[in-house]
Amino acid sequence: MTGQERTKRGGLRWPTLWVAGTTALTAVLPLTVADRLPDPLATHWRGSTANGSMPLWAACLVPALIWAVLGAAGLLALRRVDGLLRVWNLAGLLAGGVLFLGLQTAAVRANLDRTDWHGAELPVGWFLGTLAAALLTGAAVRLLGGRGLSAAAPPAPAGPVLELAEDERLVWFSRAANRPLQVVAAVSGPAAAVVLLGAATGLFGAGWGWPLFAVLAVVGLSTACCFSVRVRVSEAGLEVALGPFGLPTRRWALSELDSARVERRLPSQVGGWGYRLNGLGTTVMLRSGPCLVVRVSATGHDFAVSVDDAERGAALLNALRARQSA
Amino acid sequence: MLLRLDTKDTRPLHEQVAAAVRRAVAEGECRPGDRLPSARDLAEALDVNVNTVLRGLRDLRDAGVLEFRRGRGVTVAAGADRRSGLLEQARALVAEAARQGYSRAELVELIKGMP
Repeated sequence: MTGQERTKRGGLRWPTLWVAGTTALTAVLPLTVADRLPDPLATHWRGSTANGSMPLWAACLVPALIWAVLGAAGLLALRRVDGLLRVWNLAGLLAGGVLFLGLQTAAVRANLDRTDWHGAELPVGWFLGTLAAALLTGAAVRLLGGRGLSAAAPPAPAGPVLELAEDERLVWFSRAANRPLQVVAAVSGPAAAVVLLGAATGLFGAGWGWPLFAVLAVVGLSTACCFSVRVRVSEAGLEVALGPFGLPTRRWALSELDSARVERRLPSQVGGWGYRLNGLGTTVMLRSGPCLVVRVSATGHDFAVSVDDAERGAALLNALRARQSA
Repeated sequence: MLLRLDTKDTRPLHEQVAAAVRRAVAEGECRPGDRLPSARDLAEALDVNVNTVLRGLRDLRDAGVLEFRRGRGVTVAAGADRRSGLLEQARALVAEAARQGYSRAELVELIKGMP
């Protein structure tokens, strides 16, 4: 086990205790005052009037189980992420614990000393207070964790450099594509059009026609933008064009880049396929393997794109940068 | 793929562009069937006019190095890698012959006379 792995495992102990503890408290809380609660309890409100109930055991277990499942998913994800994403993850776990425990407390408080659940009024102040507390906890973790992170950003390792002849103008082109995403885009785009037609003409029920169109349109557009990428390195700098139409396209002049290098990256490291933002910076991930990674001077963040022949792209970028600054 | 343009070259620009692409094909930078970057992309990167690039690409199509296909853009023709390498050598031979005072016709006779 490497040192890094050990700190990761160690870093899991407190979040696990937090999730387990808040889950247990959420489950046990109504039981501690069971003799002062009606059975069934009010568990759902519209405005401040109760409109739904559960037996005592369900009121204990259901919120605790939901939080246990969400928390476990968060903890599993925590094992695999680093940097900023880890901070977000921790913020979510802390806020989730506060939220579930707070809501359970508010529900118990509403039912306390009532003889029938219909009379239970939601204490709105408690409810809003819980939401605010959860948001504040999450924000505080994000701020504190994020600050330590940016200070510790390591310098970018040196990349390869291509040998350039004096009177040569070199340009490098490359591209990468993701077949499955291409298929998804090709299917969901026309499907969205069909559903739109159906919903507009009243053939489909408007109740689900429009939401389905919205989902298909978002999926179609986002995959269409991400299923392929074209990369160009020239004296003008680096240009990364997404999708078949090059929309969006990101450009940097040579002077805007600190360095270029190659890194092997996996979709599981960056959070999936497509345009990804996380602790590693921005990654345009279409396939696992070598990525061209540049350090952007203005922000100090990395931008990576999974593309074939990344080695020579990085080498040319470094060579052109050196020539320009000479 | 990597494209090289010699800034001291005195040939017309469209010939230089064609030579750069031919060289890339000959060196295996792009293989038969591979799609070339769009003419606009090439023009922007090499800092030459789009029409100049298109003229260079058309010359290569006529020489059998590239294929223009509707909907697929410009692709490298089958067998172009071998043919392109040979063409490059033939070109060098013609240039060398001219430098030594031989005309193309004389060069052809020379080749025909070979056993």
